[in-house]
Amino acid sequence: MNDEKFVEVKNLQKVYDNGHEAIKNVSFSVKKGDLVCLLGPSGCGKTTILNMLAGLLNPTGGDILFDGKSVVNTESKNRQIGYVFQNYALYPHMTVLQNVMFPLTVGKQKMAKDKAKAIAEKYMDLTQITEFAEQKPGQLSGGQQQRVAIARALVQQPKILLMDEPLSNLDARLRLNIREEIRSLVKEVGITTLFVTHDQEEALSIGDKIILFNGGVIQQDDLGQNFYLEPNNYFVANFVGNPVIDNFNIKVKGGKITASDFELNVSDLDQSRFKRELTDGDYILSVRPENILPAEEGHVSAHIEDIELIGRERILKFSHDGVQARSLVNLETPIKPGDDVKLKMRLNRVFIFTPEGERVY
Amino acid sequence: MKNIRWGTLVAYIILAIFAIITIFPFVYMILGGLMTFQETTTIPPTLIPKHFQWGNFSKVFAQAPFARYFLNTFITASVTTIVSLFNALLGAFAMVNLRFKGKGVVQALLLSLLMVPGEAIIFTNYNTIARLGLLNTYVGLVLPFLTSVFYMYYLQSYFGSISPTIYKAAKINGASDWEYIWRILVPMSKGGLFTVGLLSFISGWNSFLWPLLVTNEDSMRLLNNGLTAFASDAGSETELQLAAATLTVLPILILYFIFRKQIIRGVVRNDLKG
Amino acid sequence: MKTNQKKAWIFLAPTLLFVTFFSIWPIIRAFIMSFQSGSLINLSWSGFSNYQYIFKDPEFWLAIKNTILYALISVPVALAISIMLAWLIFSKIKNKGLFETTFFMPYVTSTIAIGIVFRYIFNGEYGMLNFILRFLHLPAPNWIDDPAMSLTTIIIFGIWTSLAFNIVILMGALRNIDPNYYTIADMYGASGTEKFWRITMPQLVPTIAFLLTMNIIAAFKVYTSVYALFNGQAGVGNSATTAVFYIYNKFQIVGTPGVAMAATVILFIIIMFVTFLQRKMMKKIGGH
Repeated sequence: MNDEKFVEVKNLQKVYDNGHEAIKNVSFSVKKGDLVCLLGPSGCGKTTILNMLAGLLNPTGGDILFDGKSVVNTESKNRQIGYVFQNYALYPHMTVLQNVMFPLTVGKQKMAKDKAKAIAEKYMDLTQITEFAEQKPGQLSGGQQQRVAIARALVQQPKILLMDEPLSNLDARLRLNIREEIRSLVKEVGITTLFVTHDQEEALSIGDKIILFNGGVIQQDDLGQNFYLEPNNYFVANFVGNPVIDNFNIKVKGGKITASDFELNVSDLDQSRFKRELTDGDYILSVRPENILPAEEGHVSAHIEDIELIGRERILKFSHDGVQARSLVNLETPIKPGDDVKLKMRLNRVFIFTPEGERVY
Repeated sequence: MKNIRWGTLVAYIILAIFAIITIFPFVYMILGGLMTFQETTTIPPTLIPKHFQWGNFSKVFAQAPFARYFLNTFITASVTTIVSLFNALLGAFAMVNLRFKGKGVVQALLLSLLMVPGEAIIFTNYNTIARLGLLNTYVGLVLPFLTSVFYMYYLQSYFGSISPTIYKAAKINGASDWEYIWRILVPMSKGGLFTVGLLSFISGWNSFLWPLLVTNEDSMRLLNNGLTAFASDAGSETELQLAAATLTVLPILILYFIFRKQIIRGVVRNDLKG
Repeated sequence: MKTNQKKAWIFLAPTLLFVTFFSIWPIIRAFIMSFQSGSLINLSWSGFSNYQYIFKDPEFWLAIKNTILYALISVPVALAISIMLAWLIFSKIKNKGLFETTFFMPYVTSTIAIGIVFRYIFNGEYGMLNFILRFLHLPAPNWIDDPAMSLTTIIIFGIWTSLAFNIVILMGALRNIDPNYYTIADMYGASGTEKFWRITMPQLVPTIAFLLTMNIIAAFKVYTSVYALFNGQAGVGNSATTAVFYIYNKFQIVGTPGVAMAATVILFIIIMFVTFLQRKMMKKIGGH
């Protein structure tokens, strides 16, 4: 019925008893069957939102609708949700099978043991943990525990799956594999999933869309690539992207853009990309390291202090106005530390923000 | 090297002396309980009886209803332990896992009650029990001890060390609080509950002043009261007194030797936090 | 979560109910009764007369004097011995568990039963203690029947009983000291005594402060061990009477509950004061 807005959050607010305003008027919606990542630095409120969706916390304002119906007064167990915790929260005294069966054997709708077992086995098969059925969670690796947690979350056939940083307790390589697995699993089951993470790469790689939070406010609610190409504001531009974006302080006066060692004409910029008129004043010009490259004639003169190798690319590090900046070049570029080079920006790829962070260009 | 050896030797000697001082009364109690009256009063004292007088024990049982004392003590210690553990379990669960108004006040109240010395309230409690007409009854023996703020506090710290996400997971999985308590909290805290139970049972077994106040009928006495009464009655029959003391101490000592690790760990854990 | 509120109070109900009737009410009641006189069934207001009575009663002062003497002697001595034993076990012994198990035995056993054994060991004529003392050509006093000795006897027995708890708690604290401290001290060539005074003792200070208060509070409540040693009496001619003995006697034997409760209130205030001092002391230690 409400496939476009299967999960809908309206003007959600949360003020803790100590007065801390964790969530300030947040609204977003999730399409049925989508995997949406809630991204943000720690303390941005993303887990608070997930807990409110799960009914573990009460909002102090606003509404939450699942499939068109408000659930704020519904208890967790009746919200038809599955939840995967960061530490998995597996019951250590139960075997894997008992853990997965647990949701089916408690509460008002508890079912017969053999029936519960059959269903549990189906989901253990799906998550490939059948062979550990009789083991305790403590005997399993992090990745295996993760799968048990997912199987337990899915066994009640919930409509919505909530995952709170499910990969942060795993080592780097495993994380890459498991995130692929999670994506294909939830797509196979077809369940609407909200996935909380602080890792932008993780969010970009598995999310159908990403909602980026900071300070209890949505910064951008968009498709993954747009966080690179069209960041809403200075925070988004700086949060997303690895290596991080370069920021230069600039002054705009009479159609001229001046930095400490370069000058541009406002007319050199792509006029169609202006969000509003660039009035005179102080601004920040931001450019992603892959869009500021060595050239015969460039905007910025840089003294390369250090070179870092990342995979098939190299990061040239230099200082600009005393702040570290980076240029991302391929491996073959013949530049050594100590070289003085000119760097040219791709002007249709730079961003200009006000000192308050509002995007102008 | 030599210095270290000497140090270790001196350490062993000091420890051995104190270990003997600690154990000797127990050994002497058991051996003395098996002596004849003459052997207990000879100078120099007898250490090991010539013939073990097992008959002393039957004399004890014949002269005083020790079987009854055992039963009474066992019943009161068990009931106190089970009920107070149950109450502490529910209370500690609420304090750790539930959010409610007034929690801070309850916590402050319980903490301040921890400091109230039992001896300061035992006499007024006697008055209450007497007014309720419960002197010389099992109910009177156990009633004021069916809740232990101390054990509840102990369990709170135990439950607090369980990740709060476990409770949240159970809620989302559809478990009621009651199901959470019995299917998750209790099995996960078996060790702590068992230790608390043991400590509670031991202190129940050794209780003295309260049963002394609320019982005066021989048939309702607990072991320790029976023992003091017997010690006065048996007067000079030292070997019977010692045999009776052995009867009182031995069950707890056996329990102690079986579960010494849990008991010691439990005592260290709760008292450093108190 | 309104439902949560109600549920919480239901879970807490048994505890709160019992606590109200058997902990809070008795405190209030004791306080009220300390201003009343007469027998339990026939109490009437009498103002401060109970307090006046006990402050004039030489027996009360004897009880307080004995209790304070007992606390001031037995607690530090027991603590010093406990620290020595715990440190020896911790630093020199491989099989720590065996000694720990041994030294903890008195904690779990009935004071009454073991008191009977001590009465026998302390016996002036055929007791084991005096046999050893005579063998060593030392004076062999009459521990039980000489009124001048009774307090000493209680103190010795008190030390014997309180070692158990102290040692086990101290062992726990010693185990909690980061072993790297000792490794580093070894690297700099510190001796055993230096390690004890420079590393161990400072680390043990909070534990010792804790034990000191626990022991002092327990010492103020001493009763059972006296009862056991002197077969229900407070020593010959009440020579070893203590605060709780006094209260019990006034409450149960003499039948003046008001006087007993006035003494209880005084004891209660003393214990609260010690607890308060401990809090302050702990804060100071924690503060720096």
